[in-house]
Amino acid sequence: MGESCRLEIRNPCSFLFIHAFLVLLHLAAFASFAASPHRTNLVEAVLSEDLARQTDIIKSLVEANDPLIEQALTAWRGGSLYVLETNDTKTPILLDPVTDAEGSAKAIRLIDGEFVKGADGKPLVFAVADLTAADATSKLRKVIKATLDLFALGNPNPAMRRDAVIKLGQEQNPDYLPFFETRQKTEQNLEVVKALSEAVATTQLLSEDESVRLAAIGRLGTMRSINGLNFLQRLETEAKAAPAKYGEKTADALHKSIRDIQDYIQWGNFFGTAFRGLSLAAILLVAALGLAITFGLMGVINMAHGEVIMIGAYSAYVTQNVFAKWFGASGRGFDCYFIAALVVSFVVAGLVGLILERGVIRFLYKRPLESLLATWGVSLVLQQIIRHIFGAANVQVNSPSWLSGSFNVSDVLLGYNRLFVIGFAVFVVLLTYLLLTRTSLGLQIRAVMQNRHMASALGVRTDRVNMMTFAFGSGLAGMAGACLSQIGNVGPALGQYHIVDCFMIVVLGGVGSIVGTVSASLGVGVTNQILEPWLGSVLGKITVLAAIILFLQWRPAGLFVTRSRSLEG
Amino acid sequence: MKPYIPKLIAKVMLALAVVSANAAETVKVGVLHSLSGTMAISETSLKDVLLFTFDEINKSGGIKAGGKNYMIEPVIVDPASNWPLFAEKAKQLLEVDNVSVVFGCWTSVSRKSVLPVFEKDNGLLFYPVQYEGEELSKNIFYTAEALNQQAIPAVDYMLAEGKKKFYLLGSDYVYPRTTNKVLKKYLKSKGIPDSDVVEIYTPFGHTDYQTIVAEIKKFAAAGKATVISTLNGDTNVPFFKEFANAGLTSENCPVVSFSISEDEFRGLPAKALVGHLGCWTYFMSIKSPENTKFVKDFQTWLKAPTVTGADYKISGIDGKGRVTCSPMNLSRMGVYLWKQAVEKADSFEVDKVRDALIGQKFKGPAGEVTMQENHHLVNNVFIGETLATGQFKIIKTFKDVAGEPFSEKFLPKQTAAN
Repeated sequence: MGESCRLEIRNPCSFLFIHAFLVLLHLAAFASFAASPHRTNLVEAVLSEDLARQTDIIKSLVEANDPLIEQALTAWRGGSLYVLETNDTKTPILLDPVTDAEGSAKAIRLIDGEFVKGADGKPLVFAVADLTAADATSKLRKVIKATLDLFALGNPNPAMRRDAVIKLGQEQNPDYLPFFETRQKTEQNLEVVKALSEAVATTQLLSEDESVRLAAIGRLGTMRSINGLNFLQRLETEAKAAPAKYGEKTADALHKSIRDIQDYIQWGNFFGTAFRGLSLAAILLVAALGLAITFGLMGVINMAHGEVIMIGAYSAYVTQNVFAKWFGASGRGFDCYFIAALVVSFVVAGLVGLILERGVIRFLYKRPLESLLATWGVSLVLQQIIRHIFGAANVQVNSPSWLSGSFNVSDVLLGYNRLFVIGFAVFVVLLTYLLLTRTSLGLQIRAVMQNRHMASALGVRTDRVNMMTFAFGSGLAGMAGACLSQIGNVGPALGQYHIVDCFMIVVLGGVGSIVGTVSASLGVGVTNQILEPWLGSVLGKITVLAAIILFLQWRPAGLFVTRSRSLEG
Repeated sequence: MKPYIPKLIAKVMLALAVVSANAAETVKVGVLHSLSGTMAISETSLKDVLLFTFDEINKSGGIKAGGKNYMIEPVIVDPASNWPLFAEKAKQLLEVDNVSVVFGCWTSVSRKSVLPVFEKDNGLLFYPVQYEGEELSKNIFYTAEALNQQAIPAVDYMLAEGKKKFYLLGSDYVYPRTTNKVLKKYLKSKGIPDSDVVEIYTPFGHTDYQTIVAEIKKFAAAGKATVISTLNGDTNVPFFKEFANAGLTSENCPVVSFSISEDEFRGLPAKALVGHLGCWTYFMSIKSPENTKFVKDFQTWLKAPTVTGADYKISGIDGKGRVTCSPMNLSRMGVYLWKQAVEKADSFEVDKVRDALIGQKFKGPAGEVTMQENHHLVNNVFIGETLATGQFKIIKTFKDVAGEPFSEKFLPKQTAAN
């Protein structure tokens, strides 16, 4: 108001402007007045017993541009619209979302959006338990839902808008076409625009007019609309049943569009399988890489490898809780927790590995079978410790927002968490490769693994190298645990699910070869995903396992054979 | 002084009688739930709620039979999620401890393993967990949901919501397979063609749901699709994470799960499950005076768990963040129904109690239940929508559904054309 007070009327032009402004104000007031018939109607619908009348009114509400009506309809559908009965008058009310200590809330009258007040003029509060909800049969709920979906066409969130459009399109109801067309004129978001033209075409498939129908069929075909395929196929069955009604042109167009879409789906399946195979391979690789070092390079049969992974996952859980305490359970601060979790889990798991090596394994380097038993014992102890601290039930690790969701490349979904794991696997393999080939520690590791006595004679502290290598391998396992926490469950038994896969990958790849581990995980991952749609996940898994056993019969040393004295000796 | 002596003796006798009625009599009751191994997570909660119920009953005077008041004395054994061990422990309870009744078992295979033992020794078992039916033993009372008290109402609800395509996804064992077999027949009778019903199983502990979710995404592309999930335990975590990441929501493809109750929810990612549905005969969120009291009393009891009047020490109960759920409620219902039957029969003898159980009614947290002649309950069935708090908001109630173990009795008769 401060601005307009200083405005002086210097010429008729600005006077006109103010006048126009006033008129607009009047109009706005009129508009809000005009909205109330809808509210009156809604009140009538809520109190009515006549389903047909209710349906008519609810359908007519589509034109109401009134947030309270939308709110009321949502509440009605969800059973939280109540009818207040006082001396023969029934008033439909909504409860204010703000509740007091006893869970009671103020009531909002549907007709004018005001609070229901007592005799003293103060708003009354009501408890849900004392109120009667307005009836909504499933038929009525469906009608309400359709109206709400039409409301959702104007939703500010594009994802909601798109979902609403898709859903309405699937109804194939010609009544919705005008709504789609109005929206098409103003819609900016590309996804929604696509969904809109898909919805229009799907609806027009049922058109009596052949040219409209042909155009719609053609459009769905050129759009490669997977959502439309089902409707096209249904129409094709109908067209085959009644060729006279639909004509040859329609049949041809249908045939072509369906073939186009199916070809497109074939390609999508191919790339989808490739991506899923890659992502499974990355998970296997990340989990097995630590073992490839401790078992592959050092020759320690470490049955506690799975539990080290589990400790990494629990480290991620603890980091998450600490971050949630500092920054709250969502937001940017919380989202960073995962980066910290990777570091924390590497350090914690590395330390556990260090203690394990110093405390148990270093006494057993020459006795592999005993190290197998000892580490198995350690794995049970670790599981029980975790159960003791965190309880036997699984814990919740929430993904940060940048790891939830997916993005869509021509109808193949690439999950962010999956992409991250693939990237992470590449990173970890590179890190390990560089460490082994470009650093003096790597040189020493390789020297010790090839010939311990000679390395020792040349002044390499083999004891220390063993310790560092084992700690590094365990640290990698810990990071794997943090990664797995984004995909599966975190519980005391987490390690047991992965330990068999890990050994399988390392043995298949060839003990002692990092390249072998990479290739084996790729092979197993992709094969598994190719087989799964055909055989189902149970049989698919069995087939892969049988194939690995047969392969190892043929090449017992695995894919890549490493010759080293420590392994042969 | 003489005339006083008989009076004195009478007084002493009376006092003795009161003492014996108050404290001396106990009745042994067996609890057969795994407290270690894979099933411990679920079954421990049932053991806890049983002890709580015994305490509740003992506090209010125990069980009246033969003119005496009996305190419940729990005998707890741990079959350690090991199916043959279930049979051994059941034998021990019945033959060594001579318990009057046993409350226990979670998985169907454990129930099948103890069934011959109960039939041979004429014992009495109350089974509280939703199961696949097709079984009826005179020695077992099933307070659990039968298929027509969970799977069928859930599918009915989905059909009423206009769903036309059903993706049946389950863990690979007897309960999901039998359930889905029945559901397929049922859906067919409702006019859903076989091509719109997909049936898929994954092994226990499966973590890779990429392919399945991609398939569901395609399956749901034309709308009106729903997933009926009998996935067990923690495989739900990778499934729901993948499901949410693929952009599927309860709006475009709702999932109804039969194995997720409030108790399981404690280890699941809440955000990914919001809006999906559950179907049980009890939800913790039910608003009734009985339920408010049950939840409150149970949570108070967890802080200082004891069983009044019994020589039994409780240890190792974790009272943090505890909830109640349908199997827990049904466990408790079982105890009360048994108590009423014993009081009606005026005896702990199995044959008499069994006869007295038929027709017993009890008003519990989720409404009144009635034990039928087929050893199953008449119970209310609820469909609930998952909230971010791990609770369910009830969106539909089916009143007084009579449990029926044999699917041929509730499936519509096949027509001559088939």
